[in-house]
Amino acid sequence: MSKPLIQLIDIRKKFQSGKITYEVLKGINLEVYMGDFLAIMGPSGGGKSTLLNILGLLDRPDSGLYLFEGREVNTFSEKELSRLRNQKIGFIFQAFHLIPWATALENTLLPALYGGEITKEKIQRAHELLEKLGLGDKKNHKPAELSGGQQQRVAIARALINNPTLLLADEPTGNLDSQSSEEVIKIFENLNKEGLTIIMVTHEREIAQRAKKIKFLKDGKFIED
Amino acid sequence: MNTLKLKLLLGGILHKKLRLFLSVLGIIIGVSALFLMNTFGEAAKKKTLKEIETFGPDILMILPGQVRVSAGRAIQTEQRTTLKMEDAQALEKIYGIKALSPLFSGTGTARYSFKTITTMLNGVNESYIFLRKFSLIEGRNFLKGEITGYKKVAILGYKVKKELFGEESAEGKVILINKLPFVVIGVLSPIGIDASNQDQDDQILVPITTSMSSLFNADYLSGIYVAVENPSLIPQIERNIEELLLKRHRVSPSNIDFKIIKAEDIFKFRLEASKLFTTLVQSISILCLLVGSLGVTAIMLLSVNERKKEIGLRLAIGASRRGVLLQFLLESILITFVGGLVGLLIGGLLSIILLPLLKYPWVFPFKPIIVSSALTVFFGLISGVYPAYKASQIDPAILLKGL
Ligand SMILES: Nc1ncnc2c1ncn2[C@@H]1O[C@H](COP(=O)(O)OP(=O)(O)O)[C@@H](O)[C@H]1O
Ligand SMILES: [Mg+2]
Repeated sequence: MSKPLIQLIDIRKKFQSGKITYEVLKGINLEVYMGDFLAIMGPSGGGKSTLLNILGLLDRPDSGLYLFEGREVNTFSEKELSRLRNQKIGFIFQAFHLIPWATALENTLLPALYGGEITKEKIQRAHELLEKLGLGDKKNHKPAELSGGQQQRVAIARALINNPTLLLADEPTGNLDSQSSEEVIKIFENLNKEGLTIIMVTHEREIAQRAKKIKFLKDGKFIED
Repeated sequence: MNTLKLKLLLGGILHKKLRLFLSVLGIIIGVSALFLMNTFGEAAKKKTLKEIETFGPDILMILPGQVRVSAGRAIQTEQRTTLKMEDAQALEKIYGIKALSPLFSGTGTARYSFKTITTMLNGVNESYIFLRKFSLIEGRNFLKGEITGYKKVAILGYKVKKELFGEESAEGKVILINKLPFVVIGVLSPIGIDASNQDQDDQILVPITTSMSSLFNADYLSGIYVAVENPSLIPQIERNIEELLLKRHRVSPSNIDFKIIKAEDIFKFRLEASKLFTTLVQSISILCLLVGSLGVTAIMLLSVNERKKEIGLRLAIGASRRGVLLQFLLESILITFVGGLVGLLIGGLLSIILLPLLKYPWVFPFKPIIVSSALTVFFGLISGVYPAYKASQIDPAILLKGL
């Protein structure tokens, strides 16, 4: 078997709330390979988002080893982390987090702003992505003029603009009705078929079952099934 | 493509226009005030310097009675009749005096073909025009014989000529001054308001002799203008004049009944006042800018707080903390800069309107523009530092929290 894209070894994370310190992640071990589609389930407050933040290089673990493409993340500078987030990782959030004053097209192009120049190719790609995601006629609409499902599809286009290796999604269907949820998970399936590695947090069993693999996070640890 | 980049970078400030406007209001007021006041300061200085030049550093003015120089104007506190024609004649013997002219001022009416106006009637001699550095646009100066011969001839101020004659030539025409016929022999070029605060275009010059006998029947002078050969001799000449007049009037120095006024005396105060005024207003404007930039800081902090998610998102998708810092710094500078620009425009517009209205000379406000611009960018930077720092410290992990 080839080397994993992501390898977590005994990852731990504590939070302090007033005087109380509590451990949210109590030794996480995980291997994710290129082309994987992993769903993470678990009770609320179980540490799923915390784990995703660490995976997405938005937060650092207190201890443990995180290897991204075989390199130890701990040794990376802030700048390298920014670059990795920009080039290798796409984020999908429950609340979409689109910029309200920018159009769908502009929102899609935002990561390109930080990846050097907004080239003609990037703009072309943004158009293609939006068309592919069924938003061809919504390119110049502001987020407020779009439905939840449409907003999440803009967010997907944004996550894909820089051609990432890994897609991280935290409750991507959490704010959507069942029809929009179906659309989004279908897109995920297709992207995975095209070779994109996906890690998705969800608490909906039907959604999780569409992934290739499901893991349960409870009390800061994966439950081995 | 570049506009897209700009929009994605700075679009956040432009979409709340009212708030943007409110946040820059202080800057706008500060900059326009700063600009206006700087321009006024410059103009006032220029005006005063020009007046000194026209009044002349070589001129002395002797006024009867006690005279106070106040607020840059020579004000006679009481009219006195102590200065006589013989005093003027006696002064001619003082060494260093190039020329002098007695002056008798009164008001009167002038009439020409159904038009009657009221104006200043100044009795002077043939030296007066040179002494005051007036020039003629029409006709000629008084002849010595016209002064000694009590002739009824007149030189009109520019405005008087315009009012009585319009575009028509005045030379050789007969006008009625206080009902007596005078022949117009000349017209003065436009002069404006002089250091004695009188509109020199609104006057008629007549021979001093005619003025004192036929027009006003007076045996005293309103003043004597003296021109010296060399301005550096003024202190000496001033002393000599004082000595001579004290002796002639038989008064002690403590009861002095005349005053000698130099250009310096009149303008010293005004230069100082305008300097003080400028400093004061500049300080106020800078204070205003400071308050304005505090306003920008407050608005930017509010904006950073509101746009936490946007900032977190930018960080999550690859913006560096430095990039976010620069973005918000740029936003503050842009806001203040726009405010500064509007302020400059308003200040400039007000100067264009107000300067001529107050009869100030026009100055190209080069220095004010530089000063105001530099200060705004500086204050923009200051006002942006803290909010930008705050923005750069936002934790992108908040994106996955809550909601
Ligand atoms: N920055 C933080 N400071 C303090 N506590 C936190 C912080 N982030 C998460 N937590 C706590 O850690 C626990 C796990 O949170 P989270 O990872 O969001 O769980 P999940 O996504 O599984 O619901 C929760 O109890 C949450 O309150
Ligand atoms: Mg969560």
